[in-house]
Amino acid sequence: MHRRSLRLRLLTTFGVGALLLSGVFAILTYISVQRLLVDNQQQTDLRETFANAALVRSTLYSSPPALGALLNSIEAATNSSVLVHTHHQWLSTSHGAATTDVSSEIVHLVDTGKTLHQTLSINGQLFFVVGVPIPAVETQVFEVFQLDRLERSLQLLARSLALGALATSLIGVGGGLWVSRRAVRPLLNVSSAAAAIADGELTTRLLVGQADQEVQQLTESFNTMVTRLVTRMERDARFASDVSHELRSPLTTLTTTVSILQQHRDELSPVGRESLDLLAADLSIFQSLVDDLLEIARSDAGSLAHVIETVPAAELVRQSSRRVAQRLGLAETPVEVSEAASRAHVGVDRRRFERVMANLIANADHYAGGATAVRVDADDGEVSIDVDDAGPGVPLEERESIFQRFFRGRAAHDRGLARGTGLGLALVSDHVAAFGGTITAEDSPEGGARFHITLPRRHEVDE
Amino acid sequence: MARILIVEDDDHIRSALRLMFEGEGFDVDDASSGEVGVALFNRLASDVAIVDVMLPGITGFETCRALRSSSDVPIVIVSARDETADVVLGLESGADDYVTKPFVPAELLARVRAHLRRRPSPTHAFTMGRLQVIPDEGVVRHDDGTELHLTSTEFRLLTDLASVNGKVLSREDLLERVWGYDYFGDSRLVDVHIRRLRMKIEPDPANPSFLVTVRGAGYKLVL
Repeated sequence: MHRRSLRLRLLTTFGVGALLLSGVFAILTYISVQRLLVDNQQQTDLRETFANAALVRSTLYSSPPALGALLNSIEAATNSSVLVHTHHQWLSTSHGAATTDVSSEIVHLVDTGKTLHQTLSINGQLFFVVGVPIPAVETQVFEVFQLDRLERSLQLLARSLALGALATSLIGVGGGLWVSRRAVRPLLNVSSAAAAIADGELTTRLLVGQADQEVQQLTESFNTMVTRLVTRMERDARFASDVSHELRSPLTTLTTTVSILQQHRDELSPVGRESLDLLAADLSIFQSLVDDLLEIARSDAGSLAHVIETVPAAELVRQSSRRVAQRLGLAETPVEVSEAASRAHVGVDRRRFERVMANLIANADHYAGGATAVRVDADDGEVSIDVDDAGPGVPLEERESIFQRFFRGRAAHDRGLARGTGLGLALVSDHVAAFGGTITAEDSPEGGARFHITLPRRHEVDE
Repeated sequence: MARILIVEDDDHIRSALRLMFEGEGFDVDDASSGEVGVALFNRLASDVAIVDVMLPGITGFETCRALRSSSDVPIVIVSARDETADVVLGLESGADDYVTKPFVPAELLARVRAHLRRRPSPTHAFTMGRLQVIPDEGVVRHDDGTELHLTSTEFRLLTDLASVNGKVLSREDLLERVWGYDYFGDSRLVDVHIRRLRMKIEPDPANPSFLVTVRGAGYKLVL
């Protein structure tokens, strides 16, 4: 399953977390503030209505005709409408709330002697109605308060809270970004260091610096692990190299004396001659094996000894295949260079590149009766070199394992074990990798095997 | 018949080489250390020397230097090490060639013969700044009449580059022409010898004006 990036997850967690938290806080704040404000407002309104009812009552007692003037003066001072219901009749100011707004049930309820307060929604607007009975004069005083100012305050509050929540979430995302960057940075360092080590830069270590304790531990363990690995690799490589070095002296004596014996072949009996031929044949395999083993041990030991030169690809391939052919005593393989490749350069160690060509051409000779063509092509980024043959090809299931050390494919078994060293293609693959390239086994157009090398294209630099 | 000196501390290899070269008609002298080798060489006037690198006492490189100080004859180093640093060190110490163990006996023989056969390339005498090169006599003279010492390899390298009239010769061309290899030569041979030759003939070896490198192609001689 495809995993999302750790950073993205941290970022989302922080963002969503901050949004949730600030949202909940905003809603709670809104609710309590609203309740507080509304309660306050109602208390005030109630008190005002009682005061006004007292005024109405004393006016009705002393001079009922002055009631209209009183109501007008009350309404001018407050932001409300006062309605007076007396003897089943409405007395009200002209510009106040409509008497129809106060329903007959409310009037009836107050008429029974109860004080009433209630929020009403009239035409989508909220009003607060307070009703106070004055039983002595069979009068009920109603005051209708507009709630729009309160509502506007609450809207403002809601808007500020929403903005606050949004800002907090953004800050959360920012924090997430910072934390994730901080948390992921050591991981990225480790992964780039591991990649560098995998690429053969064995001296790569993580910086033990001002990092956090946990990261410090990771850094130290990582470095210790790499050091141990490198020591181990070096020991292995040195062992192989020491062994092959020690084998070189006796081998030199052996090859020299066998070649002298071959000069005197005619003086030997038929049995002696046959034994000499067997000895010579196996000695040459033994020598190639020691050669390959030493070369591979050295390539394991690191790329220090590589002398990478920038050279024209076409010339390099032509010359190496010509010399390989001469050296192996084979017919020269035709080299086809595409127009694009004729100006391309690659960075290789010439000696090792010749070894690559030698092993591929010798391989084609062993298993396929010789290479049919060497093709050089190039695009902007890469130069490719194909070594083709018309043999049986490489079976699909062996196309990767064929580059492993001492791998014996079907072809090797069919041909008998006494043909190659089992290291040739492994060496090719090691060398090509050391040049920053790749090699794969494919089908050739002639129906045989194609060994397809790609090397990074280099731009010729001035000296 | 050519006289060959073999300096090699491994008894078996030394005996095998002696047998091989004697079988090929050489007069063989051998020594198991550098010191003995240098003494023999000075007494017997060898035509060519094969020197192993890992020797008891003075090393093969030091032996090479000692031999080179008194003679221009071809010296072939035989070594179990073939990293560039070793090859360059060997060639810098004055050797003409470098063969790695275990070698193919026929290859060593072919190389020794190629070195013995080598003569200056037939070309006209020419001047190079204050130097006069006379291939027929095999000498390079300063304009004040003193002679400049070049080994036979260096002389051949110089005259070969002169004989193509300023054309570029690749490392591989030079290996074939100068060392006589038609097989796996080592282009490092050419580079080190070019460098040594520059030290001798160039007024400023770091900025050569005669023996010029042509990037990606090879070398040419500008007269």
